[in-house]
Amino acid sequence: MFLAKVKKKIISVQRHPAYQGKTVYVVQPVEPNGQEVGHEWVAMDYVGAGVGDIVVCGGAPGVSKSLFNLELAPIRTLIMAIVDKINYNDNS
Amino acid sequence: MKIGVVVGVVWASKKVTELDGIRMCIVQPVSCEKKTVGNTLVVSDPLGLSASGDTIVYVTSADAAEAFENGYAPVDASIVQLVHSII
Repeated sequence: MFLAKVKKKIISVQRHPAYQGKTVYVVQPVEPNGQEVGHEWVAMDYVGAGVGDIVVCGGAPGVSKSLFNLELAPIRTLIMAIVDKINYNDNS
Repeated sequence: MKIGVVVGVVWASKKVTELDGIRMCIVQPVSCEKKTVGNTLVVSDPLGLSASGDTIVYVTSADAAEAFENGYAPVDASIVQLVHSII
């Protein structure tokens, strides 16, 4: 799992049936201090996050299948939590 | 999942039976500002969503096989969404 900032929302008309009625966001992984790291990911919202939120993203093969009760779910990355507060000591 | 732009198509006359009738595209990963990120890769298109130049969302790893009708195919990247706009 990783910390990320929700950047933008993806609008699409044609998609896999498993994506019907679900919101998909572009997320940028960040360090606990807010610094951006690595490249962007696309993540499906599971908790009701919005653009600008710091969230916890992650996933593993087969997780979304049981989570959304679908037979086939080609969904890898999920937004699993919205972060309220981070306690972080940067000792390095 | 990641965003990419379809830059080409791969043709293969002999392939694994699970991939019969399935198009394979060359995809260049991009950021949401359409800036190039990393190297191109070959992505299967089981839903037949994309044409050359389209922006798409593709799913990687074991979940890519779930995009196929029977949930089984020897692939590790599949196109699942045709992007209309990013707001």
